[in-house]
Amino acid sequence: MKEQSTQAFKKHSKQLKTMHGTSDLLAFTLPALILVSIVMVIPFCMNLYYGFTEWNGVSSNAKFVGFNNYKKILFHDPTFWRDMWFSIKFGLFYVVIVNILSMAAALALYRQNKITTLGRAFLFVPFVISMVAISLIWKFILTSGFQNIYEKTGWALFGLSWLGDPKVAFYAVVLISVWQNIGFYMVIYIAGLINIPTDILEAAKIDGAGAWTTFWKIKLPLLMQSVTICLFCSISFALKLFDIILVLTKGGPANATCSVAYNIYREAFMNYHYGLATAKSIIFFLLCIIITIVQMRITKKREVQL
Amino acid sequence: MNHFKKKFPQILITSIVFVCALCWVYPILLIVFNSFKSYKDMMTDFLRLPNIISFKSYIETWKLFDLPHMLLNTLFYTIIVTLGVVIFAPMAAYKLARTNSKLSKFIGVILILPAMVPFQSYMITMTRFMANIGLSGTRLGYCISMIGMGMTFAVFMINGFVKTVPLELEESAYIDGASKFQTYWKIVFPLLVPIITTVTVLQVLNTWNDVTVNLLMMGANQETMNISNALMSRFSSQASDWVHALPGIVMATIPNIIFFATMQKYIVEGVTAGAVKG
Repeated sequence: MKEQSTQAFKKHSKQLKTMHGTSDLLAFTLPALILVSIVMVIPFCMNLYYGFTEWNGVSSNAKFVGFNNYKKILFHDPTFWRDMWFSIKFGLFYVVIVNILSMAAALALYRQNKITTLGRAFLFVPFVISMVAISLIWKFILTSGFQNIYEKTGWALFGLSWLGDPKVAFYAVVLISVWQNIGFYMVIYIAGLINIPTDILEAAKIDGAGAWTTFWKIKLPLLMQSVTICLFCSISFALKLFDIILVLTKGGPANATCSVAYNIYREAFMNYHYGLATAKSIIFFLLCIIITIVQMRITKKREVQL
Repeated sequence: MNHFKKKFPQILITSIVFVCALCWVYPILLIVFNSFKSYKDMMTDFLRLPNIISFKSYIETWKLFDLPHMLLNTLFYTIIVTLGVVIFAPMAAYKLARTNSKLSKFIGVILILPAMVPFQSYMITMTRFMANIGLSGTRLGYCISMIGMGMTFAVFMINGFVKTVPLELEESAYIDGASKFQTYWKIVFPLLVPIITTVTVLQVLNTWNDVTVNLLMMGANQETMNISNALMSRFSSQASDWVHALPGIVMATIPNIIFFATMQKYIVEGVTAGAVKG
């Protein structure tokens, strides 16, 4: 009887070994592999080559020029560094503002009742609307809407040329990005807040800690995992800022709102310097990876385990 | 009373934030109000409610800009792309999680690592490559690029989930004589439904709202562009035709709002899961 079952077991495990063989692996992953290769892997490898060429987009016309493109970008292309500075400045403003506001919203709305549920939904709505609709909505409000309010009230804030003045346009882009995305970060912070065990909070209350102390000494340290995630997401959003520029400002006025991603787009599809643009996209890629790794290293250290 | 006193600051804060949240959606409401106004009212009485609700400009926009066609295009793309991702990603993610060999690790790297690469760093060569293989400007080409880009993230998410699904069920089904594909389709796939729902919801939002890829693949082709691309190409130029732009924005956004209202729970869950795992 025992022998029989061991035999059966051996037969089964033999059968199970064949369940996940190499040919099955290929059969199950092949469609995904083909799609990802066509869309991402092959183009990315092409990037590496075309970054070393002078290229007008027609593949037979690529001329190998060595490191010339990279030299040009690093030493003779002020627009790339101007736009890099814009992206960094935008990133600083956006990351700080969106994280503070969304954390405040999360702290106020994380308890579950009817009012907070509705409030959360309101804050989240802009996130599900397309970037094009968002940009057009704000274009209308910032141009003709604000003009109209200014004529009635005379408040200088509304009289500013929000999309026409290079200095103000920067803040308009920050404002709209924050407005659209706050719900997203709030939801992540709420998930973090819900995970804080209530007995810790009660213990703090009994020990006489006020709301302020509780936040700084207990909630924030335990929220560091959510902070890591939100910082990661907001930094990568800032680096990749593109759609909103494309629809709202087209990089203007006077190139004041041109992001790195938009710079690459312009170099390729408007100036037709494909070789130069691919070199720029390699630099852009490296920059994104480096910033991400540095940020993860720094914030991971601050996470607290219970 | 004492109880109320204790609770009062919390209630105060919540109501302040609630009012702020109301202000947060106010810009959207303003657009809806103004979309019913005539051009003159829009320019002179921006903040006032419309005097009469007139659908004249809605009907004009609907016909003039061929909105039904654009909405159908977008719906078509959303369905095909989401189906593509939902059919192929779980298959790959499941086998990757269950196989432990050098080859499977290599495939895993190819399928999951690209999720870290920002789109703008390969968009140029992607459009050129698509043109080289004759897919540029076609519906098929657009769907393939969207599926490919959605694939890496979906495989990553599902791969993590498969590891939590117990092996016994599929093993016994297989030993009982089900074929490998049957085992996957009848036993494993139903167990993956929670994570597939998440992936589906995120993919639908992504595809419906996409503008960059559509612009790069389709350009300004009226026949094949999606709704976001159409809105952009018509209304983002300098001199804007707001009388038609505002109804256009509202009509293009209604599907998003309906989707959000009905799927709110899944969207919020999906976004959180996606961010936490990504």
